[in-house]
Amino acid sequence: MTDTSPARRRLRSAAGVVRDVLAGPYARTFARARRDEDDLFMVIVMAEALGVPNPASYYTVELLPVVYDQVHDWHRRMGLDRSPLEHVSCC
Amino acid sequence: MLSGLAAGREVLFVGGKGGVGKTAVASALGLSLARAGRRVLLVSTDPAHNLGHLWDQRVGDEITELAPLLRGLEIDPARTTAQHLAAVRSTMERLMPDHLQGGVRRHLELARDAPGTHEAAVLERIAEVVEQRHPDELVVFDTAPSGHTARLVALPELMQAWTGGLMRRQERSARFGAALRGLQGQGRRDADAGDRAAADIVGSSRPVDQRGRRDAEIRQILDRRQARFTGLRSLLQDDARSSFVIVLAAERLPVLESVELHEQLTRAGMGVGALVVNKRSPADAGELLADRRAVEQRYVAQLGAALPDLPLHEVPLLPGDLVGEDALLRLASFL
Repeated sequence: MTDTSPARRRLRSAAGVVRDVLAGPYARTFARARRDEDDLFMVIVMAEALGVPNPASYYTVELLPVVYDQVHDWHRRMGLDRSPLEHVSCC
Repeated sequence: MLSGLAAGREVLFVGGKGGVGKTAVASALGLSLARAGRRVLLVSTDPAHNLGHLWDQRVGDEITELAPLLRGLEIDPARTTAQHLAAVRSTMERLMPDHLQGGVRRHLELARDAPGTHEAAVLERIAEVVEQRHPDELVVFDTAPSGHTARLVALPELMQAWTGGLMRRQERSARFGAALRGLQGQGRRDADAGDRAAADIVGSSRPVDQRGRRDAEIRQILDRRQARFTGLRSLLQDDARSSFVIVLAAERLPVLESVELHEQLTRAGMGVGALVVNKRSPADAGELLADRRAVEQRYVAQLGAALPDLPLHEVPLLPGDLVGEDALLRLASFL
């Protein structure tokens, strides 16, 4: 197998480094964009807890079981020092 | 004939101002259709239920037989909401650490009293009733006073837009996630099996899986919602499957309100099939009632001018209490 020749391996790992260097900023941008979408999603689902009346609460509560484990990170990012799902602050 | 309106359709709504006799009209129509061999389910969505009073028997939040081929149901939104929230809560309790339970309970309490929850519960039950009806059964909804009904008809559309919005958020997030994986994971594809196994053990690919599972779950919940709203909406907006009957008294305000209701329903895409002017005063029962009849005549004419294409049925003021099958069949003979 020529594939595993040392020269090829070196070349491949060098290519990996180059790719990471080039892709890094893009990856960060995508990650941030995704997080923003997720945060917005959470705001909608947790509207009631933020004191925003939500006419669709009846339906958003169905999503709670799926997203509750993200609530902690989310409320920290939103700058809320207490979690809407906590009677004592969780941090 | 209203029975013509019912033929071939799956759902009829009977609505109008409070106190005009919607329940009586709905019941009379249901009974005469059932007598003629059609299965009918009468459903009251008005919080001030009087289906039971009219049939002189207990009708509650469970489907009850009223007559051969005729069943009745009085929707209780509070009970529906309580059941819905209890189901969510038990799911949450299975999943969540104890110290979060209090917060969840409070959150669900908030949802229970949120504006719109009551409406959502009624809508949910309407969808359920329609989905679970007998294949050849006609569902007749006896609805709450006008404004509420028009909103109920518009609601599936609103909610569909709303879940659509959440879905788009979710999709965008998933797409960004995929782009991210595309950037980070290009090396993975040509990594050998040993590397992949190592990654699995170290757990570097786990977050992606978990994330993917959650996305799929959220998607599934939203899809289910969307399907329900879409189904209900297409039923309500299909004139061949559903229609609306406006009941009113021949007085100034009810006439104006009926024209307004017709407009609202048309805007929401629902077809109105007929008007029923109830409790017309007789011409031959004394001067007082004859005078009243003349006044009513003006309003009936006004209504006919405003909505010229709609069949208009007039039901005379009937003596005695409207209770029991004989009284209802008598009313039905005018429809």
